[in-house]
Amino acid sequence: MISFARQLNLIDYSLSSLWRRRGKSLGVMVVFAGVIFLLASFQMTTRALTDAAADLLAYAPEITIQKMTAGRQESIPLEYQEKLSSIWGIRAITPRVWGYYFNEISGANYTILGLDPHSMPLGDQLGQAIDTGALPEAHEVVLGQGVNAEVAGGDKSIFSLFRPDLSLKAFALAGTFKAETNLLTYDTLFMNLDDARDLFAMAEDMATDLCVTVANPSEVSTIAKKIAALLPDTRVVTRQQVQKTYQAVFGWRSGFASICLLTALASFIIFAWDKASGLTPEERKEISVLKIIGWQTSDVLVLRFWEGVIVSLVSFVVGYTLAYIHVSFFEASLFRPILLGWSVLHPALRLRPSVELGETLLILCLTVVPYLAATVIPAWRAAIIPADSALN
Amino acid sequence: MAASLIELEKVCKTYNQDRPNQVRALVDIDLSIAANAMVCLQGASGSGKSTLLSVIGCVFPPTSGRATIAGKALSRMPDRFLTIHRLNTIGFIFQHFNLLPGLTVLENITLPLMPLGVGPGERRERAGRLMAMLSIGHRANFPVSQISGGELQRVAIARALVNDPPIILADEPTAHLDHALSLAFMEIMVDLQQAGKTIILTSHDQLITRHPAVERIIGIEDGKIHVP
Repeated sequence: MISFARQLNLIDYSLSSLWRRRGKSLGVMVVFAGVIFLLASFQMTTRALTDAAADLLAYAPEITIQKMTAGRQESIPLEYQEKLSSIWGIRAITPRVWGYYFNEISGANYTILGLDPHSMPLGDQLGQAIDTGALPEAHEVVLGQGVNAEVAGGDKSIFSLFRPDLSLKAFALAGTFKAETNLLTYDTLFMNLDDARDLFAMAEDMATDLCVTVANPSEVSTIAKKIAALLPDTRVVTRQQVQKTYQAVFGWRSGFASICLLTALASFIIFAWDKASGLTPEERKEISVLKIIGWQTSDVLVLRFWEGVIVSLVSFVVGYTLAYIHVSFFEASLFRPILLGWSVLHPALRLRPSVELGETLLILCLTVVPYLAATVIPAWRAAIIPADSALN
Repeated sequence: MAASLIELEKVCKTYNQDRPNQVRALVDIDLSIAANAMVCLQGASGSGKSTLLSVIGCVFPPTSGRATIAGKALSRMPDRFLTIHRLNTIGFIFQHFNLLPGLTVLENITLPLMPLGVGPGERRERAGRLMAMLSIGHRANFPVSQISGGELQRVAIARALVNDPPIILADEPTAHLDHALSLAFMEIMVDLQQAGKTIILTSHDQLITRHPAVERIIGIEDGKIHVP
């Protein structure tokens, strides 16, 4: 067992040794910090997106019912609401129009959300998502930040959209959504249910889906099963299922990118192994001198270990800090196209990276531990250089 | 008669034993060196001189025979304990000094103290005393690549002495020094001997072999001791 005072001396010598070879040490640290930066950025971005989705789904209905024909969704008759009246536990059923509007000028698809918030329990809470203005009344619309910048030009108070027969429907701007809700609302136009029907030329007794609010949240899945049994031609989706879908989408994309980055990490570890295996004549001489003047083989091994710990921990702290800055202050600009690729209007999210102990330790184990293994094991070859070679 | 500090009996050292490239570097060496002596090992290249120095310096144990250095038998001593014994007993001065070029004078001198767990303050204090004694105190924070040959030699001596070992081994110490520096080196060795150290030198330099303080020349040829 090496004493504490001796360990301190070996750490002292490790620092001096790294400083003497500062060019080589800095090169390794820059590459290593780069790999850690990429891995940590992905981990933080994925976590921030998943958290943002979870926060925003608080606004989503607990259960959504969509009518299916031939495996595809079609409009649902409002009379379906009455068929559900026998189910205890349903607090309210709100018809909704959820569709897409293609803007030929910008080439973007907008999400149209039409519902009557006043008919929903806690519907007024939707107002909390609105930055300026109020919930939309007849012929009014609340815009997501992206749509507002594009369609309303930032300062228009009235604008028009085309109906399917190419006649124009005018809207007054009632407000805009908060930037924090960008993940779901960036490309959204939120309007009155009747206006949405009018815009899409839908019949008055139809909606795209029905939103169900339940009295007891713990009964959501039971009620969803009952609805599915009563309405066999519908798809019943719970909020929890939507949340899982978000997690799966981000998780899959993040996983794919992580595999690519782990390949880069593996290449770096092989490079580190190769560097650690080859000893320069100066290094051989240094080790033989240290050994003949009384350093143990274990001292040399511990010395190399501390060098590896210092290089890898400094790289980890630098890489992880840069990743935090990248996600927090630069909105993860390097990875947005990969993680948010499906939308035409890429949401300009304000990401809030969270540093989770478990995930930080995972990155630490995926990077620092392989590096230490790759450098300490070949260091054994250096440590067993015979002491008498200093005499020759 | 002074007690023997170094006692070798029938010492043999064979490299690559029982292999086709086996080399018998030392054959039945009997040698006794008293404490506080100054002796010189002499022999041609490949005669076994460095191997004998390595056995005396506790770098490795003999293949057979009995080697007792400063009261401890080396035979079958594990490498770990051999290193500890070497750290406490032997001070090495090498032919090319073998100082580490990126380190300062002070850092080079204190290297043997690091595995002993000696703290930075005490390391500086011990090295400071030696640097003052050897007149290199003003060079303490200079990299060894920036000091003269004579100063390098004194740094190497200081490093050998910093653990206060009873035995100093100097391998061809004057091979790359001019006459004046060689004389200065021997003066320091004489001072160390008078301070109670046992000095073992290897050299072909007549300045050493004919120096009055060198009381014995030990010749080595083909791994055996012979009287020159």
